Amino acid sequence: MNELLSNYLPILIFVGLAAVIGLALMIAPFVIAYKKPDPEKVSAFEAGFDAFDDARMKFDVRFYLVSILFIVFDLEVALLFPWAVAFREVGWFGFWSVMIFLGVLTIGFIYEWKKGALEWD
Amino acid sequence: MIQAIVFLPLVGALIAGLLGRVIGHRTSEYITTGLLIIAAVLSWVVFAQYWLAPAAAEGAHGAATKVEVFRWITSGALDLRWVLRVDTLTAVMLVVVTTVSSLVHVYSIGYMSDDPHRARFFSYLSLFTFAMLMLVTADNFLQMFFGWEGVGLASYLLIGFWYKKPSANAAAMKAFVVNRVGDFGFVLGIFAAFMVLGQLDFDSAFHAVPEHADATMRFLSWDLHAMTVVCLLLFMGAMGKSAQFLLHTWLPDAMEGPTPVSALIHAATMVTAGVFMVARLSPLFEASDIAMMVVMLVGAMTAFFAATVGLVQNDIKRVIAYSTCSQLGYMFVALGAGAYSVGIFHLFTHAFFKALLFLGAGSVIHAMHHEQDMRNMGGLRHKIPVTYWMMIIGTLALTGVGIPGTPLGFAGFFSKDGIIEVAYAAGASTGYIAFWALVISAMFTSFYSWRLIHLTFHGKPREANHGHDAHAAHDDHGHGHGSAYDNAHESPNVMLVPLYILAAGAVLAGVVFNDVFFGHAEHIEHFFQGSLVVSADLLDAAHHVPWQVKWSATGAMLIGFVAAFQMYIRDTEAPRRLAHANPGLYLFLLNKWYFDELYDRIFVKPALWLGNALWKGFDDQLIDKALTEGLGARVKAITGRVVKLQSGYLYHYAFAMLIGIAALLTWAIAAGGLLG
Amino acid sequence: MQSDVTSFASLAPAYPELLMAVGAVVVLLLALFWKNVRPGVIAVVAIVLLLATLAVLVLQPASGVLFNGIVIVDGFARYMKALVLGAAAATVMISLSNSKEHGIDKFEYSVLVLLATLGMMIMVSANDLMSLYIGLELQSLALYVVAAMKREDPRAAEAGIKYFVLGALSSGMLLYGASLVYGFTGTTQLDQIVAAITLETRSIGLIFGMVFLLAGIAFKISAVPFHMWTPDVYEGAPTPVTAFFAAAPKVAAMALFIRVTTVSFGPITKDWQQIVIFLSIASMVLASFAAIGQDNLKRLLAYSSIGHVGFALVGLSAGTAVGVEGVAVYMAIYVAMTVGIFACVLALRTEDGRPVETITALAGLAQRKPFVAAIIAILMFSLIGLPPLAGFFAKWQVFLAAVEQNLFVLAVIGVLASAVSAFYYLRIIKVMYFDEPVAKFAAVPGELTAVMAGVGFLIVTYFFTVARPLTDAAHAAAGSLF
Repeated sequence: MNELLSNYLPILIFVGLAAVIGLALMIAPFVIAYKKPDPEKVSAFEAGFDAFDDARMKFDVRFYLVSILFIVFDLEVALLFPWAVAFREVGWFGFWSVMIFLGVLTIGFIYEWKKGALEWD
Repeated sequence: MIQAIVFLPLVGALIAGLLGRVIGHRTSEYITTGLLIIAAVLSWVVFAQYWLAPAAAEGAHGAATKVEVFRWITSGALDLRWVLRVDTLTAVMLVVVTTVSSLVHVYSIGYMSDDPHRARFFSYLSLFTFAMLMLVTADNFLQMFFGWEGVGLASYLLIGFWYKKPSANAAAMKAFVVNRVGDFGFVLGIFAAFMVLGQLDFDSAFHAVPEHADATMRFLSWDLHAMTVVCLLLFMGAMGKSAQFLLHTWLPDAMEGPTPVSALIHAATMVTAGVFMVARLSPLFEASDIAMMVVMLVGAMTAFFAATVGLVQNDIKRVIAYSTCSQLGYMFVALGAGAYSVGIFHLFTHAFFKALLFLGAGSVIHAMHHEQDMRNMGGLRHKIPVTYWMMIIGTLALTGVGIPGTPLGFAGFFSKDGIIEVAYAAGASTGYIAFWALVISAMFTSFYSWRLIHLTFHGKPREANHGHDAHAAHDDHGHGHGSAYDNAHESPNVMLVPLYILAAGAVLAGVVFNDVFFGHAEHIEHFFQGSLVVSADLLDAAHHVPWQVKWSATGAMLIGFVAAFQMYIRDTEAPRRLAHANPGLYLFLLNKWYFDELYDRIFVKPALWLGNALWKGFDDQLIDKALTEGLGARVKAITGRVVKLQSGYLYHYAFAMLIGIAALLTWAIAAGGLLG
Repeated sequence: MQSDVTSFASLAPAYPELLMAVGAVVVLLLALFWKNVRPGVIAVVAIVLLLATLAVLVLQPASGVLFNGIVIVDGFARYMKALVLGAAAATVMISLSNSKEHGIDKFEYSVLVLLATLGMMIMVSANDLMSLYIGLELQSLALYVVAAMKREDPRAAEAGIKYFVLGALSSGMLLYGASLVYGFTGTTQLDQIVAAITLETRSIGLIFGMVFLLAGIAFKISAVPFHMWTPDVYEGAPTPVTAFFAAAPKVAAMALFIRVTTVSFGPITKDWQQIVIFLSIASMVLASFAAIGQDNLKRLLAYSSIGHVGFALVGLSAGTAVGVEGVAVYMAIYVAMTVGIFACVLALRTEDGRPVETITALAGLAQRKPFVAAIIAILMFSLIGLPPLAGFFAKWQVFLAAVEQNLFVLAVIGVLASAVSAFYYLRIIKVMYFDEPVAKFAAVPGELTAVMAGVGFLIVTYFFTVARPLTDAAHAAAGSLF
């Protein structure tokens, strides 16, 4: 039983770490933030949100579109890193698999490009 | 020839029935009547062969002429052929049926002359004749059953011929339903006969009787004498068809039909089918003493009962109907005694004089413009003398006028006295009971017959009693001039000629045929050639009864005559006084022993109640409301709830899925026994 | 890691999938770079691609296990794939003439249908919990989008969202089940899972995993109680999409259900039988009652399809080859009837071009459009399961299989549910034939008439025409699993 539980120790550590970081980020502003706003500080971020406003507000859907497209390539990278590490092991089969994957992804990219999803206006 | 006799009426029926509208009423009448007359002539030819030269006609003793028409049913061991069987018994019936039928056809041309549906009427008449001929020429039980049901159907159609009259419809239905009771017994009898004897055609069945004479059959926990069961069941059919006591109620009501129908079906032919059937199956009945006894007692009871009721009836046709009922009882007494030939003899003579009486009554009714109540008649002798004399002949024949010991007498004299003698000769207690019942009945018969004559033809016209004063104001105009009595007129010749012929039969049938039906046993056997059982001992005993017995019927007849004369000619107030003195008895008889009321209570009301209960309780409440509508309502209720489940909210759906998987898990684990 | 794919020829069993994958991509590019091409043309190309794939599938009967055992191609897979492809082709075809009013006159619709079909083919051929999930998600994601394709219609958007959220939930259940199964058997490959479990040593964890796994798939075949999305999505989605939903994905998910239960969990048949019987009875009964209360045709058809899934599951409940054969036949007939009925629904438009979607609007159809009414009547009778129509034989076979396994209660409930379901099917016929006409109907497009006539013919003459070859094929398909 103990052995079984000890197997899950890393998870416990991760959970603890995550909790610490999360709490730190939430508590830190209260401790160190200047409580003196100026126009630059309260202007919108790149995400398009006003810093201090109702969370349930309308905003331009294009922000989401961009972020979702971004996530797709994010995930691509997430796949490519382990692939690169294991490249020798997976061989030509692995190579071509990823090539096809990238190809499909590229076609998706072409689609959104042609549909004008990347145009801001 | 026999095919012609049997199928000519069918041809006529089909032509008149199917083509009646095309060829017209007149043509239909002539075609059906013509075909029937041909059939009658041919029947007499056939009959003559048996009568004049019986042995030469068919050669071997006991053999019947058989003509195969077609194979009917072939199924395993059952190989039924449609065979027309002709022997003496059949020949007698052929003559009776076709003669009376053809005369009734002729008569109807006159009687129905103003009816708008004559073609249909004649079609039915011919159809009936065909069915009756099918019945008498049957060579096996099933064929007989076919004819049996066929005459029942035709009878139903003819009683209800005036289907716009509710009473006619009710009477037709009553006849049909009461006959169903008898027919049920008949069918069971056929089944039982087939079960016991293993045969359906008559000859093989008769041959098989001796080996099964002592057989028993098991019913529930009783071992019953097989032949008794068979015969009693068959006799039940005869009781229904021949209107015997307990199943007689339909016959008087059947008078709702046109009078020629009453003459043909409910006097001369169909109602005698039961008699014929018992005679035809005499070898079977001989094997069961109990059955014979029952036949005799039921016959005696019917003869007595119907005669008493006939005493007080006022409807001219009902009197004759009860008379018929009574006479049929006589026939069954003869059959029950074992003297089948005598029963058939009475059937034969009765056909003539009873048809004569009915047609005569029809003539009276015709003359009186469809007035049937005798209390409104009287003094018609001078208006319709021919009819009067014909009715007198019929009455003389019915009451059995004749001089015992001599060959002088009307037809009924020979056959009826024969039956009385046979009943006496049969001996034993049942025989004596029957004897006395018949003698008393003979007296009643005489009384009500003469009462009918006196009320109708003698005395003063009584119609004035209620008619004249009321009509006085209208006397000046229209055809309402005078009463029905004043307008009474003799019937046309087309109606009178059949009466003459029947009258001749009523006078002569007894004298001429006495020998072959009720003569020496040898003569009878010679004549019938084994087509029915002849008991030489019984006949011998019947011929040697004491003189008192021989005179008993005649004496009873005379008493009845005198009483009627006294009460309806000399002292016309006597009947009323008598009725007032014995109101209970009078009402008892007038209401026919309350049989209709009794049956109404015992069968009709409960049946109606049951029908109502099944209809309203079972069908309406249970099936319709509870099951059909109830199910529908339940389904809708469930549907409503199920539809409500579909709320449209996403979280409800997700919740349902989670509940579902929880339920599935629980179920899988519990049912899989994973938690012990 | 060595691969079993050594040459192009060794991929032969996967040719249909490869063709479909490449084809879908090509169609997408074609639509992108072909100036001003009408979406209808792309749809026709998609139909051609579907039929070509079907042809390859039928004409090139290669079997085997591929990609290190995660894909299997056997008789069962080919039978079901043929059904999927046929259903997809037919549903795209019946949407050709009215795509504009349903808001699906976009080439993306065709591409998404192709991708969904590819996902279904992978589902059908899945021999591994991984490939199973990949196929399922490829199919589902495409369908989520298709459901909400008519963006300006709030009902369609609602349908898409509901389908997506509940689909995610079911995917979660499926994944959770898959992880448990993997945890308790040590393998994800279906034909190796079976080796790792025995009736005696089965654990609660395994049963948990199996139940979750089956629940995830039950969502896809919309078996009660995982059916809640179906009526709303069927009603909200554009009718051609609904037609597609009702036909092809059902077949694929049912194939997956059968393969997972019979192949992986063969030794614990008794356990999953309980679950299947539960799903089956719940589906049959609930659908029969719920459908009575519907006036919307598409909602009614949703419940009808739920009910029919229940009936099909009766066959699977038997857990025998005969039962699976019955399900295979049932799905084929179900697809035909579904395509036919949706062809009828799509064919009905009022004179001013609005689609007819309620039962009351069908009043007097028999007088105005006798042919369509007759076909609907035939389909209704077949859906009830009256002989000698195809629907009768479908039910006959599954009930027979159940009775052979002494599942009398199930069979009786099935028959009773059938009787109740007759109520709402007959109501449609009554409305069409006995009510007075209200609306006038527009002319029926030719290809819909052809589809209706074809389906009607097959259903009526089923016993004399297709019964024999279909049963033989189903027999062979079921035989490859046992």
